[in-house]
Amino acid sequence: MAGSGKETPPGFGSIDEIRERLAAEGYIADRMLATAVFLSVSLGKPMFVEGEPGVGKTEIAKVMARLLDTELIRLQCYEGLDSSAALYEWNYTRQLLELRLQEARGVDRAEIGRNLFAEEFLLQRPLLKALRSEGARPPVLLIDEVDRSDEEFEAFLLEVLSDFQITIPEIGTLRARHIPFVVLTSNRTREVHDALKRRCLYHWIDYPSFARETAILRARLPEVELRLAGQVCRFMELLRQHDFYKRPGIAETIDWARALLALGVAELSEAAVEETLGCILKYRGDGDKLRQLGLGGLVEMALMPGHDPSAAAAVCA
Amino acid sequence: MAAPTVLEHVVGFSRVLHDAGLTVNPGRLIDLCQCFDFIDIAQRDDFHAAARATLVSRREDIARFDAAFAQYWEAPARTPIRRRRQNADDEDDAAAGERGARVALPDDEGGGDGGEGKPLRLAWSPDEALAQRDLGTLTDDDVERAQRLIRDIVAALANRRGRRRASHRHGRIPDLRRLLRSRSFYLADGICPLTWRRRRVTRTRLVLICDVSGSMQRYSRFLIEFMYALRRELSDLEVAVFSTRLTVITDLLRRKGVADSLRQVADRIHDWAGGTDIGGSLREFNERHAPHMLDGRTAVILLSDGWDRGSAAEMRNEMARLRQRAQTVLWLNPLLGTPGYKPLTQGMQCALPYLDHFLPAHDLHSLARLAGTLRAIGA
Repeated sequence: MAGSGKETPPGFGSIDEIRERLAAEGYIADRMLATAVFLSVSLGKPMFVEGEPGVGKTEIAKVMARLLDTELIRLQCYEGLDSSAALYEWNYTRQLLELRLQEARGVDRAEIGRNLFAEEFLLQRPLLKALRSEGARPPVLLIDEVDRSDEEFEAFLLEVLSDFQITIPEIGTLRARHIPFVVLTSNRTREVHDALKRRCLYHWIDYPSFARETAILRARLPEVELRLAGQVCRFMELLRQHDFYKRPGIAETIDWARALLALGVAELSEAAVEETLGCILKYRGDGDKLRQLGLGGLVEMALMPGHDPSAAAAVCA
Repeated sequence: MAAPTVLEHVVGFSRVLHDAGLTVNPGRLIDLCQCFDFIDIAQRDDFHAAARATLVSRREDIARFDAAFAQYWEAPARTPIRRRRQNADDEDDAAAGERGARVALPDDEGGGDGGEGKPLRLAWSPDEALAQRDLGTLTDDDVERAQRLIRDIVAALANRRGRRRASHRHGRIPDLRRLLRSRSFYLADGICPLTWRRRRVTRTRLVLICDVSGSMQRYSRFLIEFMYALRRELSDLEVAVFSTRLTVITDLLRRKGVADSLRQVADRIHDWAGGTDIGGSLREFNERHAPHMLDGRTAVILLSDGWDRGSAAEMRNEMARLRQRAQTVLWLNPLLGTPGYKPLTQGMQCALPYLDHFLPAHDLHSLARLAGTLRAIGA
């Protein structure tokens, strides 16, 4: 089965190399994730990434595109996404014009319209575009929030993801020029079908550890002081231990730190948290719940020594 | 490289996973073996990461996988396959026993609650006449009528327009792809009939969540008939019942013979006619079943009188979560038919803001109205 004309993108030397290069692009991955990316590139299999909102699922595709120095093709899923929006569509206007031209040229009646269903009349939508990309390097294909689409769409994906080809009834089968690096993300609002998952390598991105989150924050926002970064991440860590309707992810951490910077806050305080609460908790009920838990107590705990943000420097390096 | 032993171990490991309840198909094992070309399997962490990426596909399985991984690779048991089989059977039995026991565990003091529920019931059942036309005493004719009504209800629920389009003679959107491929387009001199598409009607899926606590007991015959009738009409139906905890009984309803499966249902649900914890039961539903049962075109029907002895805050939270995931949430309340009834109980108060429809369901007449209402609003 192996080597049947399938050409995988240029692999990386080792898991560590991937990890370093991701870090250089500002994406701090744990070794588990780096291994999954490494294997996905090496085996030419899509990655299926799940996790809570805001833990960097989509980001991994964007970073990989930068890292591989190639095009990022993105397909945002939604209910009712169909083949004409995801795979291909015929360019009806051009087809009709071609007919008129043929008539004007006096093409034989039996021949008229013979070539209407050729690849030149095909409008490429993201999936087809990713397979037929003419670039020097295979593109990165991001299929975002698969759980939002419906089952019919999952069925379209099966052929694309297992054989990297698309069958168009009017033409036949179009094969991939290069095998793209494919990332599928899901927020788990519903379970995606097993047949789809089976074609992918699975990875669950959890909330990061304190050290890793500090490192991520410092990588994304270098201007934030190590001290404040430590306090922010510790506060987030404490917050996530509670059961909120929507727990804040890393995206919220970064937004929040940015807001604190903009306000010129150098050290976390109850007042500062209260002012910027909208960056962390996006539901009124969650805000009320936090106040119930005692905002002051949480801030105090976050300020307590014992969590050394400089440990994060090791992760960074 | 001692390839055979590694392969043996991989297969042995897959058996351990299988015993732990994780299905691993050979395709995935092949993927894992292909990974060995790229990673150093002497590095335990890398091997772990590779095995997890290829063999696991659900978050729930990760903990079990990690445990099995630790157990197997700490001391890889090189037991011959025949013995493993036997062990596996033993473990299966043990697991089955445990499962049974878990359902039976009366850890929510269900019995006690049931007793306390009784005085409350006096507060709302003054109407003797209601009991007479109650669905507890259904004749076969009535059952047939009920089924017709339920068919109406299902039809009313199922008429939602989907987002996908299909060819249709009376559509509104021209189907150009079909037109360009049709013969008439090429043969006609200038004028030809257009082909059309329109949005397809998608079938709504139904999830029925029934309260079988003590206060609902007098409606239980009706409940069961309702479940069965829906079951016959809809292939895509999930049924769960709850009092202090929630049990999914879809598979039981699939069996033929009402009496027989009723006994099974009663066997499985130990707190039938016990106390009520709607919030807790909904939480269990949201956590364990919602991800695979609910999507944007699922209607959830809750059938309960709203007498709740659980926490109000929890109930509110869980109703909000349920509302967010389902297309429609309907609450059928048998008490709503009682003259002068107002939904003032704590449970109903928490639930009302999250309901699309709050409707009575205490006799055939109310079911007929339900079908009418659903059609009118085009649920």
